[in-house]
Amino acid sequence: MIELDRRTFIKGAGAGGATCALATLLPGSLAALEQQPLKAVGKEVASICEMCSTRCPISARVVDGKNVFISGNKEAKSFGGKVCARGGAGHSLLYDPQRIVNPLRRVGERGEGQWEEITWQQAYQTIAKNLNDIKAKHGAEAVAFSSKSGSLSGHLFHLGKAFGSPNSFTHASTCPGGYVIAAKAMFGTKVKRDLGNSKYIINFGHNLYEGINMSETRGMMKAQMEKNAKLVVFEPRFSVVADKADEWFAIRPGTDLAVALALCHVLIEDKLYDHAFIEQHVVGFEAFAEEVKACTPEWAQGVSDVPAKDIRRIAHEYAAHAPHAVVDFGHRATFTPEEFDMRRALFAANVLIGNIERKGGLYLGKKAKTYNKFAGNKVAPTLGKPGVEGLPKPTAKRIDQVDEQYAMMWSSGGIYQTILDATLEAKPYQLKAWVMSRTNPMQTMTDRARVVESLKKLDFVVCCDVYISETAAYADIILPESTYLERDEEIADKSGKNPAYYVRQRVVETIGQTKPSWQIFKELGEEMGLGQFFPWENMESLQLLQVNRDVTLWNTIKEKGYVSYGKPLMLREPSMVAAFTAHYPEAKATDADGTYASAMSFKTPSGKIELSSDKVEKMAAGRGVIKYRPVQLKQADELYFIQGKVAVHTNGATHNIPMLANLMSDNGVWIHPLTAGKLGISSGDKIRLSSSVGSEEGTALVTPGIRQDTVFAYMGFGSKNKELARATGKGIHCGNLLPHQTAPICGMNIHTTGITLAKI
Amino acid sequence: MSKRYVMIHDENRCIGCQACSVACRSENGTPEGVSRLQVRVEGPFGDAPHLHFKYNRVSCQQCENAPCVTVCPTGAAYVGDDGLVTIKEDKCVGCMYCVAACPYKVRFMNPETKAADKCNFCKDTRLARGELPACVTVCPTDALTFGDANDPQSDVAKLINTKATYQEKTHLGTQPRVYRIPTKRGGIQS
Repeated sequence: MIELDRRTFIKGAGAGGATCALATLLPGSLAALEQQPLKAVGKEVASICEMCSTRCPISARVVDGKNVFISGNKEAKSFGGKVCARGGAGHSLLYDPQRIVNPLRRVGERGEGQWEEITWQQAYQTIAKNLNDIKAKHGAEAVAFSSKSGSLSGHLFHLGKAFGSPNSFTHASTCPGGYVIAAKAMFGTKVKRDLGNSKYIINFGHNLYEGINMSETRGMMKAQMEKNAKLVVFEPRFSVVADKADEWFAIRPGTDLAVALALCHVLIEDKLYDHAFIEQHVVGFEAFAEEVKACTPEWAQGVSDVPAKDIRRIAHEYAAHAPHAVVDFGHRATFTPEEFDMRRALFAANVLIGNIERKGGLYLGKKAKTYNKFAGNKVAPTLGKPGVEGLPKPTAKRIDQVDEQYAMMWSSGGIYQTILDATLEAKPYQLKAWVMSRTNPMQTMTDRARVVESLKKLDFVVCCDVYISETAAYADIILPESTYLERDEEIADKSGKNPAYYVRQRVVETIGQTKPSWQIFKELGEEMGLGQFFPWENMESLQLLQVNRDVTLWNTIKEKGYVSYGKPLMLREPSMVAAFTAHYPEAKATDADGTYASAMSFKTPSGKIELSSDKVEKMAAGRGVIKYRPVQLKQADELYFIQGKVAVHTNGATHNIPMLANLMSDNGVWIHPLTAGKLGISSGDKIRLSSSVGSEEGTALVTPGIRQDTVFAYMGFGSKNKELARATGKGIHCGNLLPHQTAPICGMNIHTTGITLAKI
Repeated sequence: MSKRYVMIHDENRCIGCQACSVACRSENGTPEGVSRLQVRVEGPFGDAPHLHFKYNRVSCQQCENAPCVTVCPTGAAYVGDDGLVTIKEDKCVGCMYCVAACPYKVRFMNPETKAADKCNFCKDTRLARGELPACVTVCPTDALTFGDANDPQSDVAKLINTKATYQEKTHLGTQPRVYRIPTKRGGIQS
């Protein structure tokens, strides 16, 4: 629940007033500059949001030189011209006095919070000297590079490559990597869900109504409200998505896999699956069917607390709506070490009803190249990929390349948390430095104490960020990046059922001394003696390379901000294929049934959907077939500790933004009334949560919206560094309670653990 | 025919995400510490597993019979030609009668203008430019509908005529212009 009461309505959370004084003391912050009116770049600028990683298309207008009013870009139909609270609060970040607008050098101990302002030149020289020295003594691989993904990770990782290190990481293994790797194993690529056209949606705690992904959130609401879709939610907590569901089951944490397999069991045993689809497009069905024979709903009830009769009924209802039905494969939060098989089982429930490339089911993105091939015509332009030749080939292996079972993750962002093992235990070799951009592992990785220890042990740490985040607080050098409202970036692919492109553009002129990532890492590269690998002059030159110097196309994309081409296409949906072929006379000939089913290809070893995988079996013996394995997530006397997203914050990034901090600055811990009663806890009481790795003090929120054996908190709160003045010390820090544990195959950081609870 | 602007808040569609309250603040420059608009997620009510939240839009109800206008001693609170309850800042003496009189507790003293303030459906900003109010413009799930209920072709007229709606505290005779479509989970079928 978002706690907004009469008091906050009248008085507001008012965090700003008290903390501004502190912020003015902070060197390099915006508060140190004289406040000047915002200078708009254009009347209304189309751009891309960066308040979370969904990157919605936005349209922004400067209001009275003070605010930026941000709405969605109407050109992007599925986003509806809408924006969420975080997206709307972009200017609050832009103008936050606590934002960093000048490069900083640490002058005290790491994490002590003593900083001095330096020039960009001094920053570049210090970084270049330190990294080049480390390279000379220990090899380039002793430096790890990590970044939030997007244009910024592209430029930082390019620097890493030019430098010669194989060790670059996104946050994938702490966030959405699980379903990506499962999809890679089964489909050979990522898949998308067509929630908006679905008639029956089964959801395993993918809280799209709080973890907002605009087009999907809108799609699901449209399906529910306008198409009468039924929504079934399995989640240990009564979230907003559970509230909006037709049926909510308070499933035992970490047992989603059992219910998913029981659904598959019913689909197979009761012959509800799409036999023809399996024959034509799927391998490994027999082995899977054999495995789920024992996974009866009755068995699953014992594991998950979801009644067997409901599982059976839901499987039948789901199949009755096939193929326009979907089991949502989820997003963040790795509920269990069996993450890989859990996500595969969710995909399997889709494959069984043959909803692939059908309305309301799953589909593969149609980028320009693929789409044009089907159309027999150049419907959409393809973008050039600027690159440079002669990049050095790293001689060392990646630090996460210890075990073959993780092979699929190496090229999908890597196993982020192995930086800790390589730093603290020299596994597989010693890391000496870490260069980060817009990533906050102190919050998003597990076992905070170990992250601190690592950051203290390294010889050199660089952070590029907009705030002195909890992680940046331990850096030697902080590079201030411009906010997204001040940056131009490459044109990005936003293809769904048809090709689309969009672009991030400056809305206001840069405040202070900040720079965009592409410029920071190019200039740093030049200082490091790697200038030859950065031949482009600026972002315009990169964009022009992308559009192959087609200035008309360039201008169109910049003016509209979002451009899509052609009609939506799903290869097995007869009505869509008919509309497509009618529109494009030179389109590829269809199959006899009027679809492109036979043209469907998957980048798996067999070229088909792999319900069971020989490739995975080779990577890890015994793991080729999806299987249930019992896991212990807590001790008998402990409570499950789970986390989730709230609509007004983004994980480890937004908690210090004034407008959002005022909306919510604390994460009350959800406790069931009976659990609380036994411990003498009432709402508002101070409580202590203790796990195997840490202990946190928080506030109790007693509510029937949680299982008796579980406690819940929204993640991202409870920062411990003094620079994030609005967020520090408020609420519990989830990462500090979670042990460092990595899931097989997908390499995910696990987010469920056991805790004990006490009133203090 | 004169206009009768109304706002309809569909509690089935609302997810309590606060996009509306942030957009309102950005468009109207509402100072930190006070709000023209909030959506309070209240509850959960009921017995598990049959729980439900209430998504309560808290903002000026644009009463046709507005107590704030009746009590205002200076005429600062007034009903415009467009029927909207508005505030003339320079006439406000800060007596706060209106704040006390509002049955919906949505008036506040603006710390910058020192005058009473509240939601006016973005009358002087977005409506003046022919745009929809900020909250309606950004609502991710299309929970808000705004328009002239006197126009039978308007979306609001159609919704009021086809969906069960309710207004808050109608027993006070205020005739609020914020309509709510109750959640199906609250036991009232819409």
